[in-house]
Amino acid sequence: MSGAQGHNPIAINPDTCITCMICDYVCPGDVIHQKPRSKELPVIAYPDECWYCGLCEQACPADAITVVFPQEMLDPTTPVTSLLGRDPERRT
Amino acid sequence: MLTWPSMEPTRLHTEVLVIGGGVAGCLAAIQARDAGADVLVADKARFLERAGSVAGGVDQFMTPLNDGPDWDTPEHLMQFVPMLTDGLTDLDVAERAVHELPRVFQRLCDIGIDFTDPTTGEFFRTRAFGLPGEYHLNFDGSLFKHRLGRYTVGHGARFLPRTMITDLLTDATGQRIAGAVGFNCRTGERDAIRATAVVVATGDINRISRNVSGLPFDSWHYPYNTGDGHAMVYRRGARLVNMELVEATLTPLGFSTQGTNSYAGQGAHFLNRHGERFMFKYDPKGEKARRTILVNAVIEEVLAGNEPIYVDIRHLPEDTKDDFVRTLGVDRYTLPSYFRQRGLDIRHELLPIGISEMSIRRGGSYFRGSGLVVDTAAESNLTGLFGAGDCSMVSGGISVAAAMGAIAGRGAVDRVRSTETEPEPDDDSVTDSLGRMAEPLEVEEEDGGGWSDLEDAVRDLVTDYVGMRRTERGLRRAHEGLLDLKQQEALLRATSFHELMRSLEAKNIRLAAELMTVAAAHRTESRSGAAHRRLDHPATDDAVWRKAIVLSHDPATGVDVEYLVERPTPVPASTGGDA
Repeated sequence: MSGAQGHNPIAINPDTCITCMICDYVCPGDVIHQKPRSKELPVIAYPDECWYCGLCEQACPADAITVVFPQEMLDPTTPVTSLLGRDPERRT
Repeated sequence: MLTWPSMEPTRLHTEVLVIGGGVAGCLAAIQARDAGADVLVADKARFLERAGSVAGGVDQFMTPLNDGPDWDTPEHLMQFVPMLTDGLTDLDVAERAVHELPRVFQRLCDIGIDFTDPTTGEFFRTRAFGLPGEYHLNFDGSLFKHRLGRYTVGHGARFLPRTMITDLLTDATGQRIAGAVGFNCRTGERDAIRATAVVVATGDINRISRNVSGLPFDSWHYPYNTGDGHAMVYRRGARLVNMELVEATLTPLGFSTQGTNSYAGQGAHFLNRHGERFMFKYDPKGEKARRTILVNAVIEEVLAGNEPIYVDIRHLPEDTKDDFVRTLGVDRYTLPSYFRQRGLDIRHELLPIGISEMSIRRGGSYFRGSGLVVDTAAESNLTGLFGAGDCSMVSGGISVAAAMGAIAGRGAVDRVRSTETEPEPDDDSVTDSLGRMAEPLEVEEEDGGGWSDLEDAVRDLVTDYVGMRRTERGLRRAHEGLLDLKQQEALLRATSFHELMRSLEAKNIRLAAELMTVAAAHRTESRSGAAHRRLDHPATDDAVWRKAIVLSHDPATGVDVEYLVERPTPVPASTGGDA
């Protein structure tokens, strides 16, 4: 399957996180899950489904979230030509 | 096996159901509430304030303001619309939207959205997209959607959170919409909603082709818009238009974000690997050419082996560079931190750029759309079914979404008021909808791959054969592949309600790809630049093809094809281009 294997896109600082639920509430992809009324840190339940929009980082009242980009995005190796279609005659 | 938390879905009842809580959905809800209707809005997000593709912010609103200059009227803007739509819209509906723009803009001002420039307190208006006047207001819209959502709820619309609506309900005739079903992606609570009018405002279609990072959710547009609305209306016999049109954009290589084309307007140069400013080969205006021309030029350069392509701002004066860097995060909040993490200082270094993945939206032009065919009241061929925003026939950023949303909200109320007997959802339509919703939960063993494997396979077929360079052979091969993948859909298994949502989204993406392929194969010409490019039919053929392709589901034959012809346009005395 596709996805940045093993990469965690949302780093939460355990020292400053106040487990307030806001990141869970604002994430548009249902990626961040926080148990209500719990002191446990939020869980990045579906890291491969992150849009890297940073709504969580922006909304965090404790400034405890950093969006971290994966290697696939920071140092992409796919040539753009491979996205522009291929010859249907050629079987691979 | 995962089971539903309750045996029966919760029965809800409303006059107007709005599916999708973005800009179009909120305006539909507000208008319907203005008329005193009972309104329920459902969205996959937890809060309406954070629902939709511009929840993170937006920076432009396009409207004439009737504020003095000749160009500043809907009539003047309307003269220009046929030049954008390229024969692929219903100009009566587009005209209705254009006239609604100043009205819905006033409504947004009235609810407390501040469109003024914070530094001057005045409207800051600019000319963009080659329009014949300064219709674009630049504003700080970082809280735009937040305010709009909050107002919508405060105005009395009820909100159904984290709810994916999966199918529409009809009455016994099958021609009258009577509600919808959905489920909560966390709790699995199901809802069967009875409604007299339904507004579908579910946005565009993404996650449908590959990109440079290889991460499907790294997309230029909102990756959680997956054609859910397109699929549900199609299954009930509504008509979809312009499904063959693709839209891609220039993007920093590795992070699909919008805004890169606007760098050109700010004075950036575009270079190829030889250091050549290649844009002048494609347009006398160089980097100031229209966006579709920019995208096409970059594609041509890549195909000519001149990759990598760069944006260069090194020559700009220091204060311009300051502005440039300061505004990077407006379109995407995380872009400045992306450059930091990449160690890229664009003041002093070249920025490598590429082409984003594709979306099905409107093929890059305002006032047309890829989706539900609607009339001037935003109603479809199914009574009681309305559409607005990027999932409908007339779209164009937040402005046209707001305008058509407002029109749909009023239309829905008119439909409610003129309905003597509230439509009753037919038992078969309820059973069929709930059955389809449950399919991935009932697959006991993981025989096939998961939803992401299915999506990957769709993206490969679309990227290779249905995207930027189309041929009959390639399209045929993609079509066969997409029909094969339909068989695999039955094997998709969900072990959580979140996974159920993604599985149903994956099926919707596959269906959208199939419809895209059918329409692209049908259109034996090229049209609208990169929006539809046939290598085997490279010329635009206005005599035969200046018409939109409309698809609908025929239970007997599969996909039924019709055409929609734009009304003839009188040649304007002045193009208004010098206004």
